[in-house]
Amino acid sequence: MQAKVSKEIQLNKYSQMDDNIKAKDRIIAWPRMGRIDIPLKALLLTLGAKVVIPPANSKETLELGVKNSIEGICLPYKLNLANYIMALESGANTLMMFQAPGSCRLGNYTKMAQKTLKKMGYEFDMVIFDMYKSKMKQTLQAFWHVTRCINPFKYYKAFSLGFNKFFAIDEAEKQMFYYRPREIRKGEAEKYYNKWLKIIDETNTIMGAKTLVKKIKKDFKNIEIDGKKNVPVVYLLGEFFVLLDPYTNQNVEKVLGEMGIEVQRQIMFSGWLEHVLKPSIFYNKESHRERCVRYAKKYMKRAIGGECIETIGDTVYAAQNGVDGVIHLMPFSCMPEIVSQNILSKVSKEEDIPVITLVLDEQTGKAGYITRIEAFVDLVKRKKYKNQNKNLRERTTV
Amino acid sequence: MLEQKKIGIPRAISYYNNYPFYYGFFSELGFEVILSDKTTTGLINNGSECVVSDTCLPIKVYVGHVLNLLDKGCDTIFVPSLQSTAHKINNCSKVRGLPEIIRNVVNRRFNMIEPTLDKTEGIGIKEFCKDIANQLKIYDNDIINLAMKKGWQMYDNFVQMAKSGISHQEAMQNAISGKFSLKNIDVVKPLSVVIMGHGYNLFDERISMNILKKLEKMGVKVYTGLNVSREEAMDAIQDIGEIQYWANELDLTGAAAYYMQKRKVDGIIALSAFGCGPDSLMVDEIQYHAKNKNIPMIVLTIDEHTGEAGFITRLEAFVDMLIRKKRKLIAEKANLKHMPEKINQNKEQVFLTRA
Repeated sequence: MQAKVSKEIQLNKYSQMDDNIKAKDRIIAWPRMGRIDIPLKALLLTLGAKVVIPPANSKETLELGVKNSIEGICLPYKLNLANYIMALESGANTLMMFQAPGSCRLGNYTKMAQKTLKKMGYEFDMVIFDMYKSKMKQTLQAFWHVTRCINPFKYYKAFSLGFNKFFAIDEAEKQMFYYRPREIRKGEAEKYYNKWLKIIDETNTIMGAKTLVKKIKKDFKNIEIDGKKNVPVVYLLGEFFVLLDPYTNQNVEKVLGEMGIEVQRQIMFSGWLEHVLKPSIFYNKESHRERCVRYAKKYMKRAIGGECIETIGDTVYAAQNGVDGVIHLMPFSCMPEIVSQNILSKVSKEEDIPVITLVLDEQTGKAGYITRIEAFVDLVKRKKYKNQNKNLRERTTV
Repeated sequence: MLEQKKIGIPRAISYYNNYPFYYGFFSELGFEVILSDKTTTGLINNGSECVVSDTCLPIKVYVGHVLNLLDKGCDTIFVPSLQSTAHKINNCSKVRGLPEIIRNVVNRRFNMIEPTLDKTEGIGIKEFCKDIANQLKIYDNDIINLAMKKGWQMYDNFVQMAKSGISHQEAMQNAISGKFSLKNIDVVKPLSVVIMGHGYNLFDERISMNILKKLEKMGVKVYTGLNVSREEAMDAIQDIGEIQYWANELDLTGAAAYYMQKRKVDGIIALSAFGCGPDSLMVDEIQYHAKNKNIPMIVLTIDEHTGEAGFITRLEAFVDMLIRKKRKLIAEKANLKHMPEKINQNKEQVFLTRA
């Protein structure tokens, strides 16, 4: 049996810290995913490093990635690789990436990207830190390695700036999700969101960063809304990268918001980061993952990597908390999400909640995609109004 | 109520590598082991009906086998979840989540025995076996240990026999019936290839379209992951500068790397199911190294629609190419003895005329 392998395996083969370039000459880049560039930039600049930010994901990025990677790999890798290439082209020499072995193909990304880039003739340092159970210590180590900053106050400032910016961005996003379907002047919520992204980017003091969340909440209240509008709520679930990267999911949040649907996303970058990095002593609330495990118990007894158990747990949670529908996003051939797709059809039936799965790859046509979303939205709305009418009728007859 | 208790094992996924262990274990515990029928097209269709279309072929086959067992009237079915086989060495998510898939996809009532093997979390083979026994309401540790011993014995015999070159089917049968035989004579064939593929694809005659026998008919000696020991495979992977990431990697990358390093084979065949996540990476790795070492390689992708005719054509073309390459190589080698002289003569002539 495979268990009989007796050889010792090195424990920390998943972290790698090249040291060919002097710290002061380092120009650091990392792959893009949504807006994580803002907090990471603040973090690294505070530590005294130079950074290059690759352009946001777009058609060109995808084409570059597809050209240089193998056919069978999943979509996030292709985009990551293209980000690396673009960053290296614009002068970066140190690439950073985190890794979580034991989840899915993600654990192989950096290894493969490194090989591909070396084959293409680039010279660079790769700094990979393992986010599987070693967490804070290794993360700090990685940042120390790239910057060689020894001032502890700077670390405090950098991490608190970074964290607070993550929270602020997520808060702005949440507010936008709420206000977008309800706004009276179209596009106002998004204007506010973009305005706040700029402010978040420009904030440079710890105190300023800490008050961001409050200010955002207050400012969004200035948007005029239609209070009587009947807005169904839909959960967005699925694979981490696809959910958080607006280019990859073809901005499904905006599409839905404009159709008059309030989107809610359970997987937020800041929440995940807090759960992963904070020592367990300070983290005393139930994390998102623990809640998912609890809710998914009826359908799943074990975690199988990726975000599978989160998807199932959140769907059950959604059904029990009066959410009107679930949209499940996944990149093509994503292994954990195929399992959840299989399970979701049963969950949908037993918990009585509409679920649609959208598979994304580099060839997804926008028209067909939107047609399916429209059909789903119609279904959700009809179901909601039908239930409301039924309730009304019952009330009047009684 | 003296009827012997039955347990059903689907003839798919971990059956092909671990069945001797399961058989030894369950028969020692006093169970009658019932296997599902061999894979047929009908069985695959039954399985495909239950799962979503993106699921890979081996899982569809697995679901088909479970349904087949239920049709046979077996209501206790063994569906293991092999999460990780060493620290941070994980299986593919679908193999890890087999019980979850089966539980939610098969809408019939049956008793599922679903133990977990997860070495990353410290759940080793002992806990795995104990888990099985407890789910079957056997709590005596001595009986469990004895059964485990029997399982290991059968498994070790199987591995040794298969490594010596006996065909998978024969080795399996011998191991189960308690026979032990080794193949000492190695038939020399003009060509030899190594196939990298999961056991459940390779040794399933329907899925692999009998590729092993077809190649043998063409006069090709075939090596598989079974012919390489774990240690050799591990060393070979490190030799080519890779690390083990997947639990199945020893069977695939390990075997291919071993024969590539030893230069024992003329070509590499990769057999992978469409949409297989681990394969997409492992095959790419080996392709990269094979290209550097100038060894021909073909990737055959299979799904439930793969037509046999096209499959054979590609295989034949590959073998033809190997033959031509080898012939050319031999011819070059034979000519080499004369070639330098000729070149020298020419050079002298040139030299003379110039002078």
